[in-house]
Amino acid sequence: MANVPSGLLYSKEHEWVKVDGDVATVGITDYAQASLGDIVYVELPRVGAALTQFGSIGVVESVKAVSDIFTPVGGEVVGINDGLENDPAAVNRDPYGEGWFYKVQLADASQTAELLTPEQYEQLIAES
Amino acid sequence: MTTTDSGALRRTALNDAHLALGARMVPFGGFEMPVQYSSILKEHDAVRKRAGLFDLSHMGQFELRGPNVGEWAEALTINKVANMKPGQARYNVFTNEHGGAHDDVIFYRLGDERWLLVVNASNADKMWAHVSDKRSGDLQLTNMHGERALIAIQGPRSVEWLQPYVDADIGTLKYYACAEMRVRGTHDPIVIARTGYTGEDGFELFLPADEAVGVWDLLLAENRERGLEPCGLGARDVLRLEAGMPLYGHELTEEITPVQAGIGWAIKFDKPAFTGKDALLAQRDGNDYSRIVGLTMEGRVPARAGYPVFANGAQAGEIRSGSWGPTVEKNIATALVQPSAAAEGTKLEIEVRGARHAATVVPLPFYKRAKS
Repeated sequence: MANVPSGLLYSKEHEWVKVDGDVATVGITDYAQASLGDIVYVELPRVGAALTQFGSIGVVESVKAVSDIFTPVGGEVVGINDGLENDPAAVNRDPYGEGWFYKVQLADASQTAELLTPEQYEQLIAES
Repeated sequence: MTTTDSGALRRTALNDAHLALGARMVPFGGFEMPVQYSSILKEHDAVRKRAGLFDLSHMGQFELRGPNVGEWAEALTINKVANMKPGQARYNVFTNEHGGAHDDVIFYRLGDERWLLVVNASNADKMWAHVSDKRSGDLQLTNMHGERALIAIQGPRSVEWLQPYVDADIGTLKYYACAEMRVRGTHDPIVIARTGYTGEDGFELFLPADEAVGVWDLLLAENRERGLEPCGLGARDVLRLEAGMPLYGHELTEEITPVQAGIGWAIKFDKPAFTGKDALLAQRDGNDYSRIVGLTMEGRVPARAGYPVFANGAQAGEIRSGSWGPTVEKNIATALVQPSAAAEGTKLEIEVRGARHAATVVPLPFYKRAKS
């Protein structure tokens, strides 16, 4: 059973969002890391980049495949997880903690209304 | 083995076993095959450090019988065949008129007039049509594809973990030797060969399909807890790439010749004639051909098949295979490049999603196992 922590919001593309004031931290879910398999590289947006909600903003690479990352929220990138460069396996080990991808200064906090609650995300993956 | 309706995937005799082990299944060569059971990197690690178990029953197996199999085969392939002794296996390539490859294969000589030919799963139908078309005289061909299974155990613990179930001494089988030995659970002796596609020590077992589950379960029953892992095609591809072994469709194709692929050691030009000989000789002597090289990426972005390769700002070729290489802890790749970009040490740039990333040409293989 994939882990779906409470206190987070989720996207249909299997990202999680942790909102703290007007800054959101983004990563991929336990379901996503298990589906992808061993992560070998994550291409993150640059600090300062302007992201549009649901736009393709990077990739996550497993041994066999390259998958797009669609940002669940828009805004300016204010932080990225440098540690993933040399330890991409952190995404598999700890997708909600050490495996975080980037932080965004939310352009529009109401965008989070487009996201799924933990219960809705659990339903989504149960139906997959 | 069952053949499902035309168009649907075939299954090996071990299909239920894979599902029970939690394998993720994918289509390959017309069969439903396990790409991974737990994780590609864990399975890769098991093979390098202990041993892994592979179901390779999707590969084509042809039985060849007759007094002139060697001579017949030599006319169609790059390597010598007729001088193989019973108990020997040998790598070879069937060629087309231009010197390109129909398939890379292994011949196993079981007796004076009994041979096994193993071909790639993706080429099984093509190769059966080819050998059938070229059949002559008293040569008898039998297509056992799907009727026989192929289980491989690969890794440094292979001898230790297989020996208890075999009635003869497998430790004395030399690399690329084969023999017929009785394995617990098989009715008749089966072919065991000290061959493989991982760069590690190991054995390939060729057995009746209806005995495959018994042998597979037997090997896992005691050895799983010692660290024997079932391994899928995902790990197999990373292992063979690290070991510098060509994969048909990537480093060898109908267009990419054995000369270009860097396996000239297997071409015996002193044979009087063989398909594509003139073309390969001219290519070798002209020395003007694009060729397969190994390369490592400087950074963490993997190179993948199809990515363009640049030298001094101009496109010089393309990536043919690429992956993170866990044993060498670098991103590794093969590329088909112009001769001017092929020298060891050449600095290249690989275009990945519009950006260029540094790479260096290195000799193959990326990994060689320690001599024991």
